Amino acid sequence: MIPSPIYTYPWAPTLERFLPAPYPVTGIRRETGDTVTLRLRPPEGRPPAFQPGQFNMLYLFGIGEVPISISGVHPRSGDLEHTVRAVGSVTRALARLRKGDVVGVRGPFGRGWPLEEAKGHDILILAGGIGLAPLRPALQHILAHRSEYEQVVLLYGARTPADLLYPAELERWRGRLDLQVLVTVDRGDEAWRGHIGVVTTLLPLAERLMDLRRAFILMCGPEVMMRVAARELEDRKVPPERIFLSLERNMKCAVGFCGHCQFGPVFICRDGPVFPLGRVRPLLEVREL
Amino acid sequence: MSKAAILEALRQHPFTHDMEEAWKEVLAEMARLQTYPPDALLLREGRAADAFFLIVDGLVAIEMFVPERGTLRLQTVSPGEVVGWSWALPPYRWEFDARALAETTAVVLDAAALRARMSQDCALAAWILSRLLAVVAGRLKATRLQLLDLYAPPERRTP
Repeated sequence: MIPSPIYTYPWAPTLERFLPAPYPVTGIRRETGDTVTLRLRPPEGRPPAFQPGQFNMLYLFGIGEVPISISGVHPRSGDLEHTVRAVGSVTRALARLRKGDVVGVRGPFGRGWPLEEAKGHDILILAGGIGLAPLRPALQHILAHRSEYEQVVLLYGARTPADLLYPAELERWRGRLDLQVLVTVDRGDEAWRGHIGVVTTLLPLAERLMDLRRAFILMCGPEVMMRVAARELEDRKVPPERIFLSLERNMKCAVGFCGHCQFGPVFICRDGPVFPLGRVRPLLEVREL
Repeated sequence: MSKAAILEALRQHPFTHDMEEAWKEVLAEMARLQTYPPDALLLREGRAADAFFLIVDGLVAIEMFVPERGTLRLQTVSPGEVVGWSWALPPYRWEFDARALAETTAVVLDAAALRARMSQDCALAAWILSRLLAVVAGRLKATRLQLLDLYAPPERRTP
């Protein structure tokens, strides 16, 4: 029997949590046609401590504020990275930022991936589309502490080859002997020689690489993808306590006060965004929630 | 290729691994283990569906040629999966192409011999067709999810 995770407030909701701090943009990398990774430098005296899977609220003065997962730490400067897809007014403006511009940052918020609990276990990371962004720091952490984990497999699905995030890093990960990377796209092109199909079609291959029943599953992507993947994993006898998913809702205050991200009895910003499947599965089946 | 190697491949392959041993022996009599180089066609649209492929190693793409767009790759089939079910349904004609994307090894079952055997052995027929139905259902579900275009930008998603 796997003990249920204990939920506690990781921090007190002090005033500091509501005040954006100015973070200058120190770099911008275009990932795909509509997605960029922003490198943001924390002000002096504010080290960018965070748990993989947590998010920050990014504020563009006069435009608005959005929750964006922390997608990594720049290896040389230590700056925080946030991967942003331009889909709304704030994210479109974020994607147009230039080096030297300033972003207001609050955070980090929420509950991250269970990397401590997962020590000594196989890890399956299942990512779809922009869902790789919050999983990237988890994978970076695992690779930096590789001996503490057993088999590690990344399954990643994207729309097309041009929509794959972090292509250079993917290549480096593929080159490692201690990490299995399987990538699939929904629509291939003539140059694409890899898998074509939804990311869940890679599960049988992952099953050949590890005993899924004993693995920790970390997944993030469109909610439909996660719902289907969770069902397929449970069909393979993976305990729901070991399946973790990152959910997304309309987060505003980020500290569980405003209720915008309420999902049944939980607040995504405070109790999540990472949840064990056992805690949210009944909610995922409720339509219009 | 020896019958022993084919039998071993049938014992290992997820489609047949828990099949009765006697049936595996029957299938091994009508099978060959074949390796296809990259870009080789396993089957071609419009031709007689004369084989059933159990993919052992490599990667196979299901494709269709579309005038003015060229050959479109729709899905891939990995080791442990199967290619082709048109052999089980009249008029026994392939509806798509299947091409090896990497060097691919498959157990290739003679479809005419398999159909003849299944017409004599209802239990074997029921076993194979129920497995095949699960494959078809899984492929259909995957296709429907692909059609949802989940990763598309909101304004380009199909309703």
